[in-house]
Amino acid sequence: MMFTTKMCQLTAVVLEEDVDSVTKELLKEGVMHFVKVTDVSDDIGTYITSASPKVSQNKMAETRKRIESFFNIINYQSADIRELDVTKLSAVNLEECNILLDELAVDLQKVRDQQKFYQQEIHKLEEIKRQLDLISTLENVDLKEKYMFLSIKVGTIPVEKEKAFLSELEPIPSVEIKLKEEGKTETTLLITMKRDSSRVEKILNKFDWQDVEFSGNLDNLGIKAESEIDAKVIELKEKQEEVNESVKQLVTSKKGMLGDLWANLRMNELFYSMQSFYSKTSKTMIFSGWLPASQKDTLETEVMAATKGRCHLEWSDPRDIEKEKSTPLNVPVKLENPKALSPFEMLVRNYATPEYGTIDPTPIVAVAYLIMFGLMFGDVGHGFVLLLLGIWGTIATRKNPKRKGLHQVSQLVIWCGSVAMITGVLFGSYFGYGWFPPLWFDFHGIVVGYEGTGVVKNINDVLMIAIYFGIAVIGIGFILNWINCISKGNWFKLFTDKAGILGAWIYGAGIYVAFYFVGTGYSHLPDGNLLFILIGLPVILLMFKPPIEFILHNRKGHAKKFTAGTFMGWGLEWFAEMLEIFSGYLANTLSFMRVAGLGIAHVSLMVAFDQIARTTTPDGSFNAWSIVILILGNMLVIGLEGLIAGLQSLRLNYYEFFSKYFSGTGKVYAPISLKGKV
Amino acid sequence: MLGQDKLKKYAFINAKLRARISKILDDNFFEQMIKAKSIHEAMRLLHNTPFSILEEVYSTTGDLKLAELELYKKEIGTYREIEKHLAEDTREAVVGLTRKYEIENLKAALRLWFDRVIRKRNIDSYTGYLYREKIHHDLNVDQIINVDSIDAIISILARTPYAKIIKENALQLETTKHLFPVEIALDRYFYEQLYEKAKKLDRMDSTIFNSILGIEVDVENISWLVRFRDFYKMSIEESLANMIPRGSHFNKRALEEIFATHDFTEILRVFVGKKYAALSSILVAQSSDSQSKLVLLNRLLDQIVFYEVKKLKTGYPFTIGIVLAYFILKKSEIQKIMTVLNAKYYNIEEERIKSVI
Repeated sequence: MMFTTKMCQLTAVVLEEDVDSVTKELLKEGVMHFVKVTDVSDDIGTYITSASPKVSQNKMAETRKRIESFFNIINYQSADIRELDVTKLSAVNLEECNILLDELAVDLQKVRDQQKFYQQEIHKLEEIKRQLDLISTLENVDLKEKYMFLSIKVGTIPVEKEKAFLSELEPIPSVEIKLKEEGKTETTLLITMKRDSSRVEKILNKFDWQDVEFSGNLDNLGIKAESEIDAKVIELKEKQEEVNESVKQLVTSKKGMLGDLWANLRMNELFYSMQSFYSKTSKTMIFSGWLPASQKDTLETEVMAATKGRCHLEWSDPRDIEKEKSTPLNVPVKLENPKALSPFEMLVRNYATPEYGTIDPTPIVAVAYLIMFGLMFGDVGHGFVLLLLGIWGTIATRKNPKRKGLHQVSQLVIWCGSVAMITGVLFGSYFGYGWFPPLWFDFHGIVVGYEGTGVVKNINDVLMIAIYFGIAVIGIGFILNWINCISKGNWFKLFTDKAGILGAWIYGAGIYVAFYFVGTGYSHLPDGNLLFILIGLPVILLMFKPPIEFILHNRKGHAKKFTAGTFMGWGLEWFAEMLEIFSGYLANTLSFMRVAGLGIAHVSLMVAFDQIARTTTPDGSFNAWSIVILILGNMLVIGLEGLIAGLQSLRLNYYEFFSKYFSGTGKVYAPISLKGKV
Repeated sequence: MLGQDKLKKYAFINAKLRARISKILDDNFFEQMIKAKSIHEAMRLLHNTPFSILEEVYSTTGDLKLAELELYKKEIGTYREIEKHLAEDTREAVVGLTRKYEIENLKAALRLWFDRVIRKRNIDSYTGYLYREKIHHDLNVDQIINVDSIDAIISILARTPYAKIIKENALQLETTKHLFPVEIALDRYFYEQLYEKAKKLDRMDSTIFNSILGIEVDVENISWLVRFRDFYKMSIEESLANMIPRGSHFNKRALEEIFATHDFTEILRVFVGKKYAALSSILVAQSSDSQSKLVLLNRLLDQIVFYEVKKLKTGYPFTIGIVLAYFILKKSEIQKIMTVLNAKYYNIEEERIKSVI
């Protein structure tokens, strides 16, 4: 937990006949972060070549995605297929799979065509309805005549021909309303477009249509044609929906088969993805990769069992490889932290992956982040609201792997809410009111101008807390940097780095001098000799950094030419670094004043909303409007201040803290595993 | 001062549109869409994009053209929304650009009328896909498609600038039995009104606006020219008389040369070599038939527009350029989506789809 997880490298040689069973075991274990054998050794000779997988992973992925597109229809997530069982892995015939999926796509298209047919019917009805609407809006009879594109007829047809009659009219935009049935004839109202009159006439003649006189006004028939059309449109839309449901039924009926196919494709994809890293000789396969050292024994046993001992496994420690190669290795980095710290691990990963063998900053970030947030957002009520929001978000996103990021943010909100409640108790703040006495100091009282009674008496004291806190954070940053340098054996950096021993010496001295100066009422600096030892000496010692670096560089064989300009370069380098140390550390420390600043802003806003709420009544008491103002004010403060406090805490961690010790050059440990991201 | 004014005028819209441009679907996405084995799978890819409405409409109605109409509405909505964030003169120019949609909608209605009245075709299956909301003028498309004479159309459009245009070309339409005289006249009107609006812009905006318009005019002219010669078998004089004036790169002489030669790719090669050397690789593909040549030509002209858009994106940010760049890219994105979906609907092979987008 303190450092990144210890890794080891496996390079294995297995017989070609055992390669599939070994790959299955590796897939079952899911711990290998594969690397190409060519990356492990530059000199592998010409008799070792890359082994190309038998099946294209891309084609498998394409087919798998096709299945997922069918799953989407029934809102079934492929992630729901959680249990991938290697024992069920079998050879996949992509052609057969695609034929099956093509058939399903064809069935689906037939259903869509059916829907389209209904849509065309709807279009026709809507066109007639639009024309009816137009007529009803025209008052002028001439205009009605001019823009009458509808043909409205009433007539009779033999009852037994009704079905065929309607069927013939189907391709034409038309509305048929049965008015009455008498004996063997029925009277029908037929509305069509005038532009289709010749086609309609042919049909009417075919079905012995007999015109019945009517005044030409639909109202005289007591018919609400528009509502008849609306009813028909609704009916057609229902039919479309039914058809759409049948699509879902079709896919649901094949869900099991598609699920099995998907699982097998996914496993094959991973299987061949592993084999794409393999190299081969005429009879053997070679592969290499990284895994946590704690998994070494298990994997060795499994591989030995799968090959019945017919294999050669070579285990290497990254430090040994580095020593042998004398170049830094890019070892994949695994961070192992308790699950509760996963939101903070997310914050670290968002910045970068730490270098292998250095400190995993997750637990330290958790503590620093929460303290900063608590100081800026200390209120029991507001913290409680955040806690509830966090719990709600965590539950809502729990089962959706696609919302993992949101899930972790919700967990972070739980942490922030809890810590805000704790600091709220320390400051005695409950939705901006001091309902209970503070355990530490009365933040509200100090902000509105009351003199505190404890150690913290006024705003200056609050600002000083932030400064002390900043000094502590930066100090921890130095220590972590030294630990990293020692663990990596980087002694030169330990002393000469900006956050090394000499840098910390200057920083510590600067703090002492600043406090001394303030302590003497801004009148005296420490004694000259002491000042030289405190600041002058480390500054002079740092002058030797560029020449020593030059010598070390040349010793490693990267010879640089020494010229007159080299001296000037060293001078400039030293000067720039001094400028960076003095101005940078001053800025870094003062930057922490934002913690106090935002805390003060938080309190001030709550005080402001309280005062606004009191202005609603002449005597300053509360009424319903005051409550509304207070609720809105609290919502604003929780939303806005919560976000700002969260972001500022992150910023301080990233830029003031990480810059002291964090080397984000690591590569994420990404084993090929059944549990891996799809 | 000018710089400050421009900054004030374009700061917000510049940031907004740049953010939106970054969300425009990229080539990889279209590659995936093209690879989809069916229209259903291509539609599914749109599920988590701003175009999910297409999938929604298609899965409810099975009607791709209706989904296309939704997209068309969305595109018009985009213009309308951007208009709100612009200063008066720039807004006028964008309103002028939005008129393209009104004109295209009018053309679609006229085509249906032409099919029904002149060609005596049944149009019942197509009338549902016209855009019926008002863009700038009441077009009454339902009336247009149902009347029996061009005079009736002129009277329906009496309160719009289009009545005059149609009236002026009605005779030619009736004698040639082709709709293109009216279509070209409408296109000319579109560009003329835009050039008028460009005059009201400040110098920098006006230069950018005219330069992009000029390229679009070139695209339209060459596209029409090839159609006149190869499909309508028109003479050189007739063809040139129908060209839209003020193209950027192709003057009358260049257009004459393109008309005169059957392998116009050679002329384009010279033109591209001079001004857009990076695009000459497109012309390497040799096409024999007119249709393929037209496709090649359109691709090249599109690429020229994109080349100019790229210049706009990387140039001084506080000009109308960013607005134009956004519209062009958005239009292209929508066109690509519909091309791929239609191609998937008709089971067209991947390679052919790639050749046209």
